[in-house]
Amino acid sequence: DALLGCHRSYRSRPTHGIGKFKYLLPKEPPKKRKEKVQMKEIDAGTEYQYGDVNIQMTSHDLCLVEHFAQYVHRLCNRLSIRVNESYAMPTKTNEVLFMEERGSKMQLDAVLTTHQRVVQIRGLSSTFAPILLEIIQSNQPEGVHLLMKQHTEADFKSRLKSRPELEELLAEMS
Amino acid sequence: SAAAPRPWKLFGAMCLLRLPRITQPLEKVEEEMAALMEQIELEKSLYSDHEIRKLEEEEQLQRKKESLYDEDEAHGRTVILARDLEEKWEQKFLQFKAAPRITDADKKNDRTSLDRKLDSNLMLLVKQKIGNQELWLLPQVEWQPGETLRGTAERAMATFLGDHIEAKVLGNAPYGIYKYKFPRAIRTENNVGAKVFFFKAFLQSSDLSQAKLKADYLWVTKKELGDYLKSEYLKKVNRFLLD
Repeated sequence: DALLGCHRSYRSRPTHGIGKFKYLLPKEPPKKRKEKVQMKEIDAGTEYQYGDVNIQMTSHDLCLVEHFAQYVHRLCNRLSIRVNESYAMPTKTNEVLFMEERGSKMQLDAVLTTHQRVVQIRGLSSTFAPILLEIIQSNQPEGVHLLMKQHTEADFKSRLKSRPELEELLAEMS
Repeated sequence: SAAAPRPWKLFGAMCLLRLPRITQPLEKVEEEMAALMEQIELEKSLYSDHEIRKLEEEEQLQRKKESLYDEDEAHGRTVILARDLEEKWEQKFLQFKAAPRITDADKKNDRTSLDRKLDSNLMLLVKQKIGNQELWLLPQVEWQPGETLRGTAERAMATFLGDHIEAKVLGNAPYGIYKYKFPRAIRTENNVGAKVFFFKAFLQSSDLSQAKLKADYLWVTKKELGDYLKSEYLKKVNRFLLD
């Protein structure tokens, strides 16, 4: 009964608003929806550091690719290389049709899905880069394609969806 | 003062690696773990579309045998049964033959061919004459002033294998260094010894049908290096070789 009979801190009481704390926290700026474009780093010079490097892994087998991407991510963590992002590109489905012309024309269908995972790295020194490449290459599983390239705007934009209505409106305006 | 000639001779050597083509066989622990995980996943998994279809059709067939109702239902169904599809796929699978994993182990350790151990790295070793002895070494050539050391290593590769090799050199920094002093008889003030800088490269294409200048070459794995290289040299080379 003692639990049920608690006095709620009502507005007239002096204990009103006793549990509030949000006014004590620093103010956060309101969240923006737009993504900002990437920054580039020094490429050549005495220090010889690469800017953003993308390691792209493609395969038909989902589990393999994901596990390999996780492995690469953990490897970079252990070698204290900064990983910017690690994301997946949308899967592509391919329908394979066989046309067999022995007697009756048969069409056998097969559905193949291609998955792609990307790990983005920053701050790779050029003395270390070939060693990293060798480690990753020698631990590559079967059926996984590896591609290491520098990050470009085109890569960044390929992740975003195009908005046809917005483009139409912009075209009408200008 | 003018640049004094250094007492060390510089060489650039190339360690040409052929990457493995197949994964190495799993160890016993790994195999047991894999089998266990497969069994767990199988027991936890749900039926796929194909399997549901198969079960339904088998039930239908059973009902057909017992009673003769199914003429109305049979018109709605597709002509090809799931069971027939599975048989077709099985037959196709039996027709497929995988390439053999142990190709040239049959050839009784023919160490000059590239197809030898498909699951490990192979390195190129060449017999070279240094001083008075003929030794097995990684291909090396003397550095000429005005050339980068990487250029020396590439030249070394080119002299032994011909010009058009698709090899990708990894970076401009050397991987290892081996220095030795000449025996006292040959040592002069200017020529105390030699330093060999090692570079690594990956072989991209697997076909080396071009003419080889020197006939004594070998493709060797890391474990077999001990048979050919001297111990000091071997120690330094082993430092930068992954397995």
